[in-house]
Amino acid sequence: MSKLTFTINGQKIGPIEIPQEVMMIEYLHEFRNLTGTKFGCGMGICNACVIIVENEDGSKEVKRTCINPSSVFNNKKITTIEGHAKKDKNNNIISLNPVQEAFIKQFSFQCGWCTSGFVNEATLLMDKLKTKPINKNDVQKVIEDNLGEHICRCTGYAKYYSGMKKLILETKGLTF
Amino acid sequence: MQTPNNLSRRGFLKQCVIGGITIYSAPMLFSSDKFKEYTNTTLLQNDWKGDLGKPKFRFDAIAKVTGEKIYGRDYRSQDIKGWPKKQSYAFILRVNKANRVFEGLDFSSLSNEMKPAVLITAQTLEKDKIGFPSFFGNDMLLPAGKVPAYEGQEVAVLVYDDFISFKNAKNSLQNSDKIIKYSKAIHPLVSAKQAPYSTWRIIREEGLLKDKYSPLQNGLIFPNIKNNKAVWPIGNVKGDSIHQAMHYANELHNDIKNEDWYVVNKTFTTPSIDPVMMEAEAFNGWYDRKNKTIHMVICTQSPGDFYKQAGEMLAASPKGKEVKDLVIHSPYIGGGYGGKDHTPFPYFGLLSLLYSKNAISLSNNRFEQFQSGIKRHPFVINTKLAFDKKTKKIKGLITDATIDGGGRANFSGPVTMVGLSAMQSIYYLPRTDLLASVYPSSMPIAGSMRGFGTLQTMAAMEMMMNEAASDLNIDPIELRRINASKAGDKNTQGAIPNGDYRYLEMLELGEKHTIWKNRHSKKIQFEKENPSKKYGVGYSIATKDYGTGAAAPSSSVEITPNGEIIVKVGYIEMGPGTDTAQGALVSKYLGSMADEVVMAEISDFKILKLFETHNPYFISQKQQDKEEKNPQWTPSVTMASAASMSSYYQTHTTDLCAKLILQHGLYPAAIEIWKTKYFNNAYANANFGDYHTASWKNGKLSAAGFPPIDLKTLAKKAHEMGLLTAVMSHGFNRWAWASAQFDINGTTQKVYADAIATKYGKKSKEFTIINRKNVTYPTTAIGNAMVTYLAPCATLVELSINKKSAEVEILDTHTWLEPGTVLVKDLVEGQIQGGVAMGIGHTLYESLPLGQDGAGNGTWNLDRYNVPRARDVGVWNMNYTLLPPLGKSDPSKGIAEVVMIPVVASIVEAINHAIDKRFYHLPVTPEDIRKEI
Repeated sequence: MSKLTFTINGQKIGPIEIPQEVMMIEYLHEFRNLTGTKFGCGMGICNACVIIVENEDGSKEVKRTCINPSSVFNNKKITTIEGHAKKDKNNNIISLNPVQEAFIKQFSFQCGWCTSGFVNEATLLMDKLKTKPINKNDVQKVIEDNLGEHICRCTGYAKYYSGMKKLILETKGLTF
Repeated sequence: MQTPNNLSRRGFLKQCVIGGITIYSAPMLFSSDKFKEYTNTTLLQNDWKGDLGKPKFRFDAIAKVTGEKIYGRDYRSQDIKGWPKKQSYAFILRVNKANRVFEGLDFSSLSNEMKPAVLITAQTLEKDKIGFPSFFGNDMLLPAGKVPAYEGQEVAVLVYDDFISFKNAKNSLQNSDKIIKYSKAIHPLVSAKQAPYSTWRIIREEGLLKDKYSPLQNGLIFPNIKNNKAVWPIGNVKGDSIHQAMHYANELHNDIKNEDWYVVNKTFTTPSIDPVMMEAEAFNGWYDRKNKTIHMVICTQSPGDFYKQAGEMLAASPKGKEVKDLVIHSPYIGGGYGGKDHTPFPYFGLLSLLYSKNAISLSNNRFEQFQSGIKRHPFVINTKLAFDKKTKKIKGLITDATIDGGGRANFSGPVTMVGLSAMQSIYYLPRTDLLASVYPSSMPIAGSMRGFGTLQTMAAMEMMMNEAASDLNIDPIELRRINASKAGDKNTQGAIPNGDYRYLEMLELGEKHTIWKNRHSKKIQFEKENPSKKYGVGYSIATKDYGTGAAAPSSSVEITPNGEIIVKVGYIEMGPGTDTAQGALVSKYLGSMADEVVMAEISDFKILKLFETHNPYFISQKQQDKEEKNPQWTPSVTMASAASMSSYYQTHTTDLCAKLILQHGLYPAAIEIWKTKYFNNAYANANFGDYHTASWKNGKLSAAGFPPIDLKTLAKKAHEMGLLTAVMSHGFNRWAWASAQFDINGTTQKVYADAIATKYGKKSKEFTIINRKNVTYPTTAIGNAMVTYLAPCATLVELSINKKSAEVEILDTHTWLEPGTVLVKDLVEGQIQGGVAMGIGHTLYESLPLGQDGAGNGTWNLDRYNVPRARDVGVWNMNYTLLPPLGKSDPSKGIAEVVMIPVVASIVEAINHAIDKRFYHLPVTPEDIRKEI
């Protein structure tokens, strides 16, 4: 057993005892009942299960939850797919984050199983670009580099990519 | 998520009774405490509606993009209203060898923690007389002492009462020989001594006025089976149908030696493919023993058949018969591609409930899904395609295909038949002898994976066309033009496909494309500029049937007094956007997209009280004539949600319901308003025209120049007047729609449906069945046509090959598709792009070995099985052209499969253009290419 503390979508949790063998996705699913993070391959290959992790120094990264035990996320602030949209006091979703908005407008996903992973990775990319804008000519390559390991079986990726390209180019301050 | 109150009004509705067990389908009712916890997406979802054919986003978009619980795998017992908090976890033990005797399970080496709370084996099944529904065959769990029929065959279900024990046990035991005992001695495979699951033969010989022989005209033929091999009789032109067929086949085999004919004589092989739907199969269930009720959440593309087969399974066993009610919820599924169509998986979940006191969660991980999931059939196709050397016209096609059907028959027979009938691609073939047999093997079960056999056969045909063009020294598109079928031409079954062929138009578009026109000059230029790469371009075309010959869609459309539109269909949302398309298409008649779209609806349609008596494929004409006299009889009550089935078939009944509401509800309401408010009605009769002349603009209906009226006003008026406000319909299509006369709103009307129920505003709160009159079903003989609805598609591929790594890079694709009337363009685009990507995977990346190294051994996952990433599909250059419909009445075609087919032969041809080497097997790997560079 490990005694762990997390902040998940703004909610502080712990310290709680979690068996060491429990992967983060299992913790989210079986202990927190947060099932928006999707299990795909269980080997860290498809990236359907990535979530955003904010480290203690404020830096952010995505991590695969199917191959990383929950202890890896100890003392981290975590954002899962359930944590992006804005809600009112009655828990009604009232607005989406820009990536979610871009993906729905572009009809980017079909079955939607890979969508959580794409949204998290793309949201992190938007954050990176805010602090480090890129040349307009590099947008496609940056998208390829950041989303390239995510597997989607339905869409051929085109509408995820075109949605992201449009969003990056239309968001002030991300490109020059 | 909807509120519990909102949902509870629907309750559980009776679906059917099988052997005393009543089957209900149910909406997902969240427990009230969980409902408070979860977010609600309704507010944003309501914004999905857009202009005609242009929704702002998918109907399910908000739920999917915010991670709402909507998939079967998402649910936990604590989520669901009425279920206990306590949930157990189950997994299935499977053998990883098929060449040794399974000698049983030995748990003696396991710690107490690793021992299951519940163990279900073949002994358990024998004791309680439980087995699979008949569709799946015998040995639901393999008894000790038998050689497994296939690698991955199930031997036990283990249930654990807490997650940690379950996890540790599964990690330790899955694909391990720790507790599964095998004989030391090697045994022959069970399949080595088995007859084919199915053999099909399509022989046709054209004649002057009518065919000399064709399946449609003369009937289907089947061989005798001797020593597990198909045996065909000798030919005799004056003999029975089968002897005549053999006569013409023999003549073709003799004539193909003709020196004036050029013959492509090749063998093509295709791989075993896993669908890799991203959500692996999962199940949740609870047996409420107090009320003798089983509740289940299943992940299936075919809920209608699951209801029947689950009932069949329980009713056949004394223990199962203790269950009185079966309540089933079918949620969204995270991808299907046939991988969730008629699979054995949910029946193991159902089985586990009979022996567990807690709710059960059973879910495959990816290794298990590879090991046990439905696969695409591997084909070996020996074939000869003959051309007249002078005219370049095809003279005949001979094919003898052997197909690996895996460990259980499943849909191997239909896949073989459909694959064989698609071999012709777009071409007119005057003479054919097409033969295929599908055999049992020790491989995992193969079934109805996307393409349904046509990906394998049509790609081979197209590769032959490209090779023939090269050998005959003719442009590949020109050779296709010479041989393309024209409207009215018969297919290899002797049937005339419905509608116009637009192959010539499509070929011409390809021929004019810059990449095609400049392919030779660009090759020189590209390779000069990129000395480390080779460049190639390839083209191919295909036409894919859509339909099953027994399609049976049901829909209902209802308008509330407030003008809200509720659409319910039997189809499952697998990803392509059926919910969006069905919800959007009603705006053509009702002026607005749906406010609520209910998928996987089965129970409501029981209002129609339809029943079936025979297999719709094998019923005789005499029997059909007899049965159809009962107005509740139909050849088929439900249909599976398979690729290419929603946009035409499901649309048919939804469209019909909406149209009738306009005709008999909204339009008469509008007339009433116009004539009383805006016309001197007391003095003269106005001519507003019939409902066809009315049109919607900006959400308002107008006709004959009278003031436009909004939907809410019309709905209110229709309800007040007791006009038609809700219609439920069921259709049946055996390559043509059944039709009947119905009394609607006081008039008798011919409708292309075999069952209808209606509600008339305030006059009727419940649906009332309208008894049909003069029903006409398509003849049973037309089933021999095998397919008649076709959607064509062509793809041009531009690629490069790295000389050092031998890796292929797709530079550009251009797809031409004839989809008929497009329901939602964004969804069609997505289908094209996804189809091209899946076709690329089939051609270059995906393959599972046959035999002991294959998926059945439980060691396969995405570390070794390569599915295409964005970098593999030319993601920025996936271009397309949609051929516009010929007219406003063109139907929407099923295109979900055809879009993945032409890219296969195009890539193989482009590789040939690049390195001057033809391949006859798939996938074509860098290792293959490296040997040739």
